[in-house]
Amino acid sequence: MLKYLIRRVLQMIPVFLGVTMLLFILRAPGVLPGDPVRMITGERAISDTLRAQIVEEYGLDRPLPEQYVLYLGNLAKGDLGDSFQKSRPVVDILADKFPNTVKLALAAIVIEVIIGISAGIISAVKQYSLADVLTTLSTSILVAIPVFWLGMMLQLFFGILLKRWTGDTIYLPISGMTSNRFPDWAHMILPAITLASVSTAYVARIMRSQMLEALGQDYIRTAEAKGLSRRAVIWRHAMKNAMIPVVTFIGIDLGAMMAGAILTETIFNWPGVGYEIFVAIGQRDWPVVMGGVIFIVFAVMIVNLLVDLSYAVLDPRIRYGGAAE
Amino acid sequence: MSTLLEVRNLKTHFHTRDGVVKAVDGVNFNLEPGKTLAVVGESGSGKSVTALSIMRLIPKTTGVIGTDSDILFKGESVLGMDDAGVRSIRGNRIAMIFQDPMTSLNPVYRVGRQIGESLILHKGLKKKEADERAVELLDMVGIPHAGERAKDYPHQFSGGMRQRAMIAMALACDPDILIADEPTTALDVTIQAQILELMIELQERTGTAIIMITHDLGVVADMANEVMVMYAGKQIEYGTAEDVFYRPLHPYTWGLLESLPRHDVSEKGILLPITGQPPSLINVPSGCAFHPRCPYAKDVCHTQVPQLTSIEDGHSSACLFSGDPGFRRETASPSREVV
Repeated sequence: MLKYLIRRVLQMIPVFLGVTMLLFILRAPGVLPGDPVRMITGERAISDTLRAQIVEEYGLDRPLPEQYVLYLGNLAKGDLGDSFQKSRPVVDILADKFPNTVKLALAAIVIEVIIGISAGIISAVKQYSLADVLTTLSTSILVAIPVFWLGMMLQLFFGILLKRWTGDTIYLPISGMTSNRFPDWAHMILPAITLASVSTAYVARIMRSQMLEALGQDYIRTAEAKGLSRRAVIWRHAMKNAMIPVVTFIGIDLGAMMAGAILTETIFNWPGVGYEIFVAIGQRDWPVVMGGVIFIVFAVMIVNLLVDLSYAVLDPRIRYGGAAE
Repeated sequence: MSTLLEVRNLKTHFHTRDGVVKAVDGVNFNLEPGKTLAVVGESGSGKSVTALSIMRLIPKTTGVIGTDSDILFKGESVLGMDDAGVRSIRGNRIAMIFQDPMTSLNPVYRVGRQIGESLILHKGLKKKEADERAVELLDMVGIPHAGERAKDYPHQFSGGMRQRAMIAMALACDPDILIADEPTTALDVTIQAQILELMIELQERTGTAIIMITHDLGVVADMANEVMVMYAGKQIEYGTAEDVFYRPLHPYTWGLLESLPRHDVSEKGILLPITGQPPSLINVPSGCAFHPRCPYAKDVCHTQVPQLTSIEDGHSSACLFSGDPGFRRETASPSREVV
């Protein structure tokens, strides 16, 4: 187990180097349009002295490999450089925004787990019932709806129409994280539902198909032949087997959500990492873009590692490796 | 000796999109305590469905057991019980082991725990007591180092060991009846012999009655007191093992015995398979279901359905000609030859 953990952590190093190198090459002169000095200074006219100073300061005259090593050296010290636009360390900016992203991601995961898994189980256990048909139908619709459209429709209905109909009494906040009128958690409701929508539908579908598959296995017949109740057969014998792929999906999805939900965060003005990167791309604030992406890669890799480790808890065949004999 | 299990006119039909599948169509037999009944037949002859019907494990959505059918366990109707009543018998008084030990154990739970589960359920044992008893049971079925092996997961067991674990699981509550549905089919030949020996030995020790479902006549010869031969959902011959092997009455049984490899025939002797395919259970042939494959079939076989008739004392056959003393065959012992 420890060996596996060490191997997995070591495997992260080349992935990490590959991603940083790719990002670094993208910002090299000639790869993407634009003069790096202009990106820093913006549209203002600058003197040659200032230009030379900037080139010197950012090491832009040095060969690209040298700049890369320099960047990695700083990265190892936890320094992602400074934002051009905000004149603040990128690390500080990310440290500000990341908790907001995590908050939203966790809220979405809670919805995904509770609604997705229970809908999937009910659907499988009562196959072809009304509940099953409704689940299958609604998941198909949810998967097909674009996230930004769903977000805006929720804003329209719960934020504007409901407010109008109830005479400004019952409605939900549609923007930002805090306000005087609402508790903080209320601000999370609509963005979390939006962010969770597609994934919840997938979780329900995966759960349903896995549960149906598990219930058709020989060991379920064995459990029934023991005289166990239907409930014990489903919860004890089918559930643990059916959960393995669902946990994988939820874990990968959590990783993706850590990356910040650019669409959801933008629609709801949610000040998270995704929104920050989105703004930085528009401003060509490359230290923020690069630092943000590196940070996300790191977060996704950590989450994936945790998911893989959770298999070992769920599936003894992975924990103990190959079969006897 | 009182009858342990009585199966009366068992009819299990499945309603499918293509029509009604008459998987079991009027089966009768009795099982006495401590005895072994072998149920023999080709794939699709209704052997397994008979077993699942006794356990009431037929899926309710598609499978229907006839209203005039009955299954009496110690005089009580299993078919008339509510779900809780059936569950209190399943795994407790009547236990079952299945064909494929590779898939019949739950991969995510320890073997010992899976064995102990029915003890906790039926005998009210505490978890720790059940674990201890599971180790004893594993030891009883010949698993070495049972104490450590009980903590293993199924994938750490070989096929033979898994079937031993399945037997331990089935015998955990000391059942009156053990139904074994082709318990050796998925195993290597050498392992098959070991598992059979184990079952015979355990039966001597515990006095459990066994219903052995198989298409391997060697297995039958080794174990059975009585034999029921099934074809297309019906019983076509029933008798003591000796009767069925040495004085078989039905042409289908002759065919089964002739298609068996024999050690007393020269190596060049060829096997004589039964020609043709088992019939569709949706459109069962008219008259005797075996007539399209029967070398002795006459015109009357196409129209008249033969009933299971007692020919000798305790030996019955469902062939129109079984009563004719000239219509007989002697066969040599098909006793199992270990390869």
